[in-house]
Amino acid sequence: MPPEPLLEATGIVKAFGSFRAVDGAGLTVREGEIVGLIGPNGAGKSTFFNCLAGDTQPTAGLIRFAGQEVTRAPADAHARAGMARSFQVPVTFEDMTVLENVMVGAFLRHPHRRDARERAREMLEVTGLARQAEARAGGLGTPGRKRLEIARALATEPRLLLLDEALAGLNPTEVRDAIGFVRGLHARGITLIVVEHIMEVILSLAERAVVFNQGKVIAEGVPRAVVDDPAVVEAYIGRSLAGRRLRRRRNPP
Amino acid sequence: MILAQVIVSGLLLGAVYALFSSGLTLIWGMMNVVNFAHGDFVMLAMYVAFVAYTLLHLPPLVFVPLAAALLFLLGLFVYAAIIRHVTRGPMLAQILSTFGLALLLRYTAFWIFSANFVTLPDTLVGGTVAIGGLRLQAARLLAGAVALVLTVGLHLLLTRTALGSRLLAVAEDRAAAQLVGIRPDRMQGLAWGIGAASTGIAGALIAMFYYISPTVGESLALIAFVTVCLGGFGSVPGALLAGLAIGVIEALSAYLIGAVYQDVVVYALFVVLLWFRPQGLLGQA
Amino acid sequence: MRIGLGVAAVVLLLAAPAAVGDPFIQRVAALVLLTAISASAWNLIGGYAGQVSIGHAVFFGAGAYASLLVFKLFAWPPIAGAPFGIAVSLVLALLIGVPTFRLRGHYFSMATIAVAELIRIVVGNWPLLGAAVGLMGPAVPRGLADLSFLSPLPYFYIFAAVEAALLWVTWAMARSRTGYYLRAVRAGERAALSLGVPVLRYKLVALLLSAGFTALAGSLYAVMVGYVDPESVLGILVSVQMVIVAALGGAGTLFGPVLGAVILVPVQQATNAAFGGSGSGLTYIVYGAIILAIARFRPGGLLELLHWRPRRAA
Repeated sequence: MPPEPLLEATGIVKAFGSFRAVDGAGLTVREGEIVGLIGPNGAGKSTFFNCLAGDTQPTAGLIRFAGQEVTRAPADAHARAGMARSFQVPVTFEDMTVLENVMVGAFLRHPHRRDARERAREMLEVTGLARQAEARAGGLGTPGRKRLEIARALATEPRLLLLDEALAGLNPTEVRDAIGFVRGLHARGITLIVVEHIMEVILSLAERAVVFNQGKVIAEGVPRAVVDDPAVVEAYIGRSLAGRRLRRRRNPP
Repeated sequence: MILAQVIVSGLLLGAVYALFSSGLTLIWGMMNVVNFAHGDFVMLAMYVAFVAYTLLHLPPLVFVPLAAALLFLLGLFVYAAIIRHVTRGPMLAQILSTFGLALLLRYTAFWIFSANFVTLPDTLVGGTVAIGGLRLQAARLLAGAVALVLTVGLHLLLTRTALGSRLLAVAEDRAAAQLVGIRPDRMQGLAWGIGAASTGIAGALIAMFYYISPTVGESLALIAFVTVCLGGFGSVPGALLAGLAIGVIEALSAYLIGAVYQDVVVYALFVVLLWFRPQGLLGQA
Repeated sequence: MRIGLGVAAVVLLLAAPAAVGDPFIQRVAALVLLTAISASAWNLIGGYAGQVSIGHAVFFGAGAYASLLVFKLFAWPPIAGAPFGIAVSLVLALLIGVPTFRLRGHYFSMATIAVAELIRIVVGNWPLLGAAVGLMGPAVPRGLADLSFLSPLPYFYIFAAVEAALLWVTWAMARSRTGYYLRAVRAGERAALSLGVPVLRYKLVALLLSAGFTALAGSLYAVMVGYVDPESVLGILVSVQMVIVAALGGAGTLFGPVLGAVILVPVQQATNAAFGGSGSGLTYIVYGAIILAIARFRPGGLLELLHWRPRRAA
């Protein structure tokens, strides 16, 4: 019998009034995987992601994580259970230093200041932020803030890390660095769920891709194969082609 | 019969509450800023009416629009000079800015007009009107009716006009509105103008039959907060229903328990509401 | 070296009022410390946790009334009422905090004003509490326990001890996990939650600590002044004073409230002397202008100008 999966979400529905942003989606993640969540804008992947992280409670469905049911548990309980996340738009604690930001994360497993600081310094080494330890977090640029968020999340010593478009807004060199960095995290034994709209990232990182469209999972499998799935092409690429056509019509050459 | 009289006069006052609470809910819903000087805007409008009448002998037909115009300008000014600069700052700055403004307005009025309670003469809109056996003060009837019409009008402005949809677009998503060519700063400034103007009209109307004092805004602001919370924040129809309900509750508690406790009942209602139905009566969980 | 200088400065400041010998100055010095106590207490929730209460008078009033009520009912020394005042404050704090801390935004601020006004009106009409007239303390000191002194000096030293204790609590809290968590909550609740911070619990802890110390400040006020009425201990201006003192010096900093009190209380005493009490409201026009100016131009308060700031990242 295979071991119980680390994360198991089934039949997740999130409705806003009569609109179902997530409409019966499910996902199973085993320990040690890297899973990519992809889909066109507005496909519901971010809402689904926020349900997994406990940021919003699903209208229906069941989420089990590390052997506990966490469907309606608040975000802080998810963190204690061993789940950490980054935000699409980084939310660092601006007026605190970089080190202090990471210490807030480290305090979860290390109640004493000295231990938390030591742990935070290690995370800054891992994420390459050690030199900016005493800088004000609000003064970092976008790549720095994204790294800081990840350092802070790692300081909670998670088993599962959820990355929400952690690579968006980076230039190609930074993206390459970041991919290497995420691989490094995986090598440390952390399971990852990565929401991304950059196809390259999913193709080079994920072992498995899950495609969202209109609140549902429409395809799942090895990234290379999934990209060629006609349903995915229609939902994902088709829409971007349609978008390109629209743009062309708006700006005639 | 007395009970019916009490309820109807509660409804009339409630309509005025609804109008000035709509101003608060509009601003709150638009940009998630609570104007702690809101009650003092009402107070200013009451003094506009008082000065316009006692010094310049202007009738309500003139001083009500005058109060609306002056408060509209005040709203624009407060937005441009203060609010625009503090919305991105810490929560402390947002709350302190409008709260400091409240003190400044309240005690400037205190300094100019002294602490005395004043009223406009009863004869301004004189007499009583008998409707179906109820005798209602003409001033209250007029104020209630005008306030009701304007609150509904404000709701229609927001839901049925191009300006309204632009205002709501900014409330919904500032960045997205900007992408389609709406200037969020202008819309938010305008929301402050419109919110303050409705407050101005409500103040001038209520001045016809209510006492006027520099600190009157303190309790009116709390009534507006309770109204907005009861109605669900950002909702004008909610504010209307809640305003009417609070007018009646106040009138009934003044009649049944004593006038001293009418505010106590409303504040207690607020605390109870926070515990059991924080999203307001009409809001969704 | 720096510690030595600091100790010397504190000793000098503590000895100064005794050396000056002028009772007016001694009284102002005592008031500075009393004001610093209530502002430091407010600072725990309003500054560190970033939850802006504008109704802290309700806790101050609970302490003040409890002190003189135990004297009226049981002829106890007023300070014996402090534990009761603190207990009532904690209950009120839970009543306000539990529902509003689950909500975001301004609900907490609004609830604090609403509850403060509610209590003020109720107290002003409650014969047991002296209604609008208020309560009196012992007319003649019956013993040392009444803490009734002619000279302001003993009050100065009592207040100095309490403020020192409060500052120590604040300092210890700020460098512990609680302090880091509160600053995280202030900076962004969503991010704090994602890192496992039980936001509601920490906000409540800060509010309870703050309310307890504010009640103690109220008791000390009643002990020194010897009478309370609804306006002087429950009025909205009592709440305003705490906010403005803390914000002027620097909300969320250890010494901000002390600095604010050192600046504001003498100014207030001077304007009261110049304009004849607070009757003209001029003091509060100035207050309003100061609050507005801090919020608009320097939300970090004055200490921010002197304080070490983390350098900007390259």
